[in-house]
Amino acid sequence: MLSRTADSLYWVSRYVERAEYLARILDATTRLTNLPTTYGGAGTEWQSAVLTAGCEEAFAKAYAEANERNVCDFLTFNPDNPSSIRNCLAQARSNARAVRTALTSEMWDALNGAWLELQRFEKKRMDREEFARFLDWVKNVSLVFDGSAYRTMLRDDGYWFSRLGVYLERADNTARILDVKYHVLLPADEQVGGSLDYFQWTTVLREVSALTAYHWVYREAVKPILVADLLVLNRRMPRSLAACYENISRFLDALGDAYGRQGPAQRQARKTLANLSNTRIDDVFEHGLHEFIEEFITENNRLGNTIFEQYLQ
Amino acid sequence: MRIRISHTIGYDYAEPARHITQILRLTPRDHDGQHVMSWRIEPNVDGRLRASQDAHGNIVHSFYADGPISSLVIRIDGLIETIDLAGAVRGGLERVPCEAYHRDTLLTQQDEALRNFADEVTAGAGTPLSQMHALMNAVGDRMKCVEASGRIGVGAAAAFAAREAIAQDIAHVFMACARHLGLPARYVSGYVARSDSLPHGNGAHAWAEVHLDDYGWIGFDCANALCPIDTHVRVAIGLDYADAAPVRGSRQGGEGENLDVRVSAREAEGRSANQ
Repeated sequence: MLSRTADSLYWVSRYVERAEYLARILDATTRLTNLPTTYGGAGTEWQSAVLTAGCEEAFAKAYAEANERNVCDFLTFNPDNPSSIRNCLAQARSNARAVRTALTSEMWDALNGAWLELQRFEKKRMDREEFARFLDWVKNVSLVFDGSAYRTMLRDDGYWFSRLGVYLERADNTARILDVKYHVLLPADEQVGGSLDYFQWTTVLREVSALTAYHWVYREAVKPILVADLLVLNRRMPRSLAACYENISRFLDALGDAYGRQGPAQRQARKTLANLSNTRIDDVFEHGLHEFIEEFITENNRLGNTIFEQYLQ
Repeated sequence: MRIRISHTIGYDYAEPARHITQILRLTPRDHDGQHVMSWRIEPNVDGRLRASQDAHGNIVHSFYADGPISSLVIRIDGLIETIDLAGAVRGGLERVPCEAYHRDTLLTQQDEALRNFADEVTAGAGTPLSQMHALMNAVGDRMKCVEASGRIGVGAAAAFAAREAIAQDIAHVFMACARHLGLPARYVSGYVARSDSLPHGNGAHAWAEVHLDDYGWIGFDCANALCPIDTHVRVAIGLDYADAAPVRGSRQGGEGENLDVRVSAREAEGRSANQ
């Protein structure tokens, strides 16, 4: 396979995954701001949504204040924000068009249809209800695309590259959610375990559709350490860092076997996977969740670069 | 190196067993030097197989089956990718602080002869690391490693006196000396891939690890006179053999047990070249 094709396949999935993630952030933030003020929300929810999306610099350039209107606009339709939902879907589609023949028709239809539909949404004036419908629609696009890839793609290097894009992006997203929520949302004087805390961690779980899973696994009230355990170390949780790396390592191994060569990307992914399976959440909290996550995000980016150097350029 | 392991443990009972319980420490974990690509444990008898962890962090499977059972075969198949780290064990799970491995056990008790031997062979060496290398070579020179077939361990002191022993007792001798010299030491059970350069290996093997302040845990394989390289697959650790034994079991009934173990660990074909 040409490295250019591999590169496009990888980025198609990455952009779709990112669009879904942005929709999830906006959905969760809207929920959080709808809480009664007696729960003492810090009022920084929209600021933290920008942080979680990882585009605070671009946002600061474009807007003075992080409020609902500005943030929603910036993260959804703003053409100047390279990772707005609109631009993610546009990038996904243009990458897809470049490798049209490497995609199945179901995958292409999902993306192309989404792009056309998006322009209808863009023209509408949206009230809150319509906006919520829009966010649901974005999540649906990702589900349909992901499902088509899963159901229709031939299991060869094309599929593996597209999966790598999904899981690298997902690992990055989960890590960012954990990091931002842990720091920004907890006011200094709020006791850990207070009612505000409860809603914020519940929001974290909702962002990754894990609230029900949490209750199945732990069968107790929502606690920060267990939320982190679920999202970092639990391999049964499909968005956890460990589950993402289990998949990354598996698909990199498949590529290594198919090409008869393996290199730094395989070694690096295995190392991170070993690290995640040999760590307990108590140790993570002891050394600081923030440091752990920050290191993880750096490592994850580094793996992205390694994969790029090894396969995509 | 990519190593394919297949390990079969077969039991025949002259009189069928009514109930069998087995504790299996037969599943490796990932660390910087090894990556488990696939691993399966398959008993040929219906029963319950439950995974858990022990105090050292080893993955332990408990197998329970109700009889009558006249023969039981447990089959382990695995594929491991290893990297040569010159004996260093990094990025592994450390459940227990290294100080805990100072403790002597029945199998690693020292006698006068062992203590003298340890002091003597390390007298000329400067750093703890070179002491351990000197000790590894001295133990390897003095002790003849014999095939395990049917033999059981006798403990460090007795093995030392006999001058020949199975691999697990050679590891015990080394650990006894290291602990006498004030260093934490632990037992490792695992597999060694067949290789022309290694005199002892080809299947199940045992060696020791010592904790050194500047380096962390380092493996020493006296029987092969080297620090474990990419031919070694590390499966379980413990204070001694009894702690890390691959299989421990009990049964009701089943007199006249006949055990048949076959292990093969060899470089997998069609492996990936490293770039």
